[in-house]
Amino acid sequence: MELIFSLLQQLSVYLVIAYLLSKTPLFMPLTTVSGHLSQRLACYVVFSLFCILGTYFGLAIENAIANTRAIGAVMGGLLGGPLVGFAVGLTGGIHRYTMGGFTDTACAISTTAEGLLGGLIHSYYVRRGLVDKIFKPAVAFIVLLIAEVMQMSIILLVAQPFDQALHLVKAIALPMITANAFGAALFMSIIQDRKAIYEKYSAAFSSKALKIAERSVGILSRGFNQQSTKKIAQIIYEETGVGAVSITDREKILAFIGIGDDHHLPGTAISSDYTKQAIENCELIYADGYEVAYQCSLYNKCKLGSALIIPLLGGEDKVLGTIKLYEPKQKLFSSINRTLGEGLAKLLSNQILTGRYIEQQTLLTQAELRLLQAQVNPHFLFNALNTISAVIRRDPDKARDLIQHLSQFFRRNLKHNIESVTIKEELAHIRAYLEVELARFSDRLQVDFLVEQEILDVFVPTFTLQPLVENAIKHGTSTLLENGKIEIKGGVIEDNNQTLVQLQVIDNAGTYSPAENATGLGLQIVDKRLKNRFGELYGLQMSCEQGISTTAQILFPLVVEKNK
Amino acid sequence: MLKAIVIDDELYAREELTELLKETAEVEIIASCNNAIEGLQKVNSLKPDVIFLDIQMPQVTGLDMLSMLDPETMPQVVFVTAYDEYALKAFEDNAFDYILKPVEPARLHKTIKRLKSSLKKCDYTALLQNQLELIPCAGYNRFVLLKPQEIELAYSDQSGVHVISNKTSNGENKSSCSLSLKVLEEKTCLIRCHRQYLVNPTAIREIKLLENSLAEIITCNGSVAPVSRRYLKALKERFSLS
Repeated sequence: MELIFSLLQQLSVYLVIAYLLSKTPLFMPLTTVSGHLSQRLACYVVFSLFCILGTYFGLAIENAIANTRAIGAVMGGLLGGPLVGFAVGLTGGIHRYTMGGFTDTACAISTTAEGLLGGLIHSYYVRRGLVDKIFKPAVAFIVLLIAEVMQMSIILLVAQPFDQALHLVKAIALPMITANAFGAALFMSIIQDRKAIYEKYSAAFSSKALKIAERSVGILSRGFNQQSTKKIAQIIYEETGVGAVSITDREKILAFIGIGDDHHLPGTAISSDYTKQAIENCELIYADGYEVAYQCSLYNKCKLGSALIIPLLGGEDKVLGTIKLYEPKQKLFSSINRTLGEGLAKLLSNQILTGRYIEQQTLLTQAELRLLQAQVNPHFLFNALNTISAVIRRDPDKARDLIQHLSQFFRRNLKHNIESVTIKEELAHIRAYLEVELARFSDRLQVDFLVEQEILDVFVPTFTLQPLVENAIKHGTSTLLENGKIEIKGGVIEDNNQTLVQLQVIDNAGTYSPAENATGLGLQIVDKRLKNRFGELYGLQMSCEQGISTTAQILFPLVVEKNK
Repeated sequence: MLKAIVIDDELYAREELTELLKETAEVEIIASCNNAIEGLQKVNSLKPDVIFLDIQMPQVTGLDMLSMLDPETMPQVVFVTAYDEYALKAFEDNAFDYILKPVEPARLHKTIKRLKSSLKKCDYTALLQNQLELIPCAGYNRFVLLKPQEIELAYSDQSGVHVISNKTSNGENKSSCSLSLKVLEEKTCLIRCHRQYLVNPTAIREIKLLENSLAEIITCNGSVAPVSRRYLKALKERFSLS
């Protein structure tokens, strides 16, 4: 009985060491069963140490040692697999062998066998996909129980003389079986706790990061300015729970939310040297308030006591600004928030870049639109003038009308800055254009409008339909020897429970070929602007039945807009 | 008076030009056509002194048409265009006469004066195509544009030039053509086998040798073309028969 207590006492010291070690990074690999070489190596090193430790902590008894060596061997096997278990057992066994005594061989053999047993249990669970079971203290308890019984049997079988061995086993069997089994269970429980804490930590981390990412999507793509950064700062402030959040550009504070917002005012120039340094050297600065002193540069009674300053990077390592997280003096910076801060800076940098990219795209389409407007075909203009000059002779009133239509058409073309117009206005633009063309091709062009009333107030990007009609005439009907016919159709259709606006310009020439670059540009711009506006799924689609007809079709979802 | 034909696909443009030409009192408009194919026919049948030729026209442009005219009966040509950078450059480079739309009466006067002073023909080779891609032909009430390789046979008789194609349209494989045999011979793959016959070498199914060094060609669709003594030798050589 006395032996049990002594052994348990030794075990306590042993477990305290285990507990302390669990606080170190050395323990991290033990909390997962990854099968990586590093994890196995860590298992081998840690548990070999415990194996040897178990021997040293043993109590000398009858020329033998009552010990807790088995814990190391079995745990090594359980967490590291058969190979590691065997190696740990062998290492512990050889160590025990060098200590001598009449059970030295028996102990060496049994320790190796115990390691192997742990390893086999490991393999069994892994193969069944029950990796979680390995970390159950109860499992460790039972495996150790079996291992110790096995050890006692080996001592009886191997140690000589048998009488002495039997006597020894009688004395140590119960204490050792109990102590080892309990010890292993407790050890495993320490590892399990460690694992739980780590998982909880990373879960909290990822959920925070994901939440911020989700909430901040798209905000900065509208520009890196006071409005957008204020929203972002608010989100970060709410999700991280830090004392204050600030976002700056290279010169001034763009947003500040949290403790100290009475004197950290958006719009004021950056005064903190740390921030200037972060921008200048493109480096992360952590002023924890102890090692690196932190004092608010604006107000000496400011409650903020520590700051993390992370530069926001644009392309080519150019610093666009900083994001700063603060904690008040009485609060410590949690390491989650520190790590999170760096990730956030990356996230925001990307968003800013995306925003700039989109902005450039928009500028590009605007430039292209100007090009499209400027592209008013000189051929059209001079032919129109020629037509008018012929009409003047025959019918001055008609000529006057034509001049009106022509000026209307050009006036519309000169309105660069209007982004979108109603279909009604776009049709009026087409009519002005067509009046001229119809006069020009008076004897061989016919145009029919079939547009439903309900879509007349729908907004489309400017110059959506006119280029299609112009294209149908220029590259379509005007190349026909026979009469040209153009139909301009508009209406709504239902597609997958969605109401779509369908606009079609159909000619009877069927001369469209996608390879032609000359026709391409105008149509490409129409398509691009529709896609910009309504998304990649929509836009312009050309289809052609050679020699029969060409159809230019536009589809986009019906959205009822009130203004613009 | 200069006999002129106006060829333009736009009604008002034709009318305007006709009117302006009449005002000069130097020109008689003997026809006005709304496309190049009709224009070719009229040029061949009416033999004008000058044609006013629009460039942008459906199917066969003014420049295409130029290549289809027989150099021997080629009238003077005045190009008329509203805007065509490429063509204008060619006219400038070769000092060909052209008029811009809307037509300026003063400019028109100048042109006519020049036309009257020298009726010698310009050399339009700079604008001509070596090979024609489309051969405009006319059937009953319709125009057909044939690719040279679709033509099996072309021949001339009193009523003009006719082609037989390997394609039928409206049940007809024969249509009349406004191009002379000479132009066809020079600018298509057709070869001469008789003074009045051209044949597409790829369409020959059989060459039947007759007496007196004469022969007959039978084409894939069964049309027959005589081969005269003068061309038989060349034909034989071409097919390595001799």
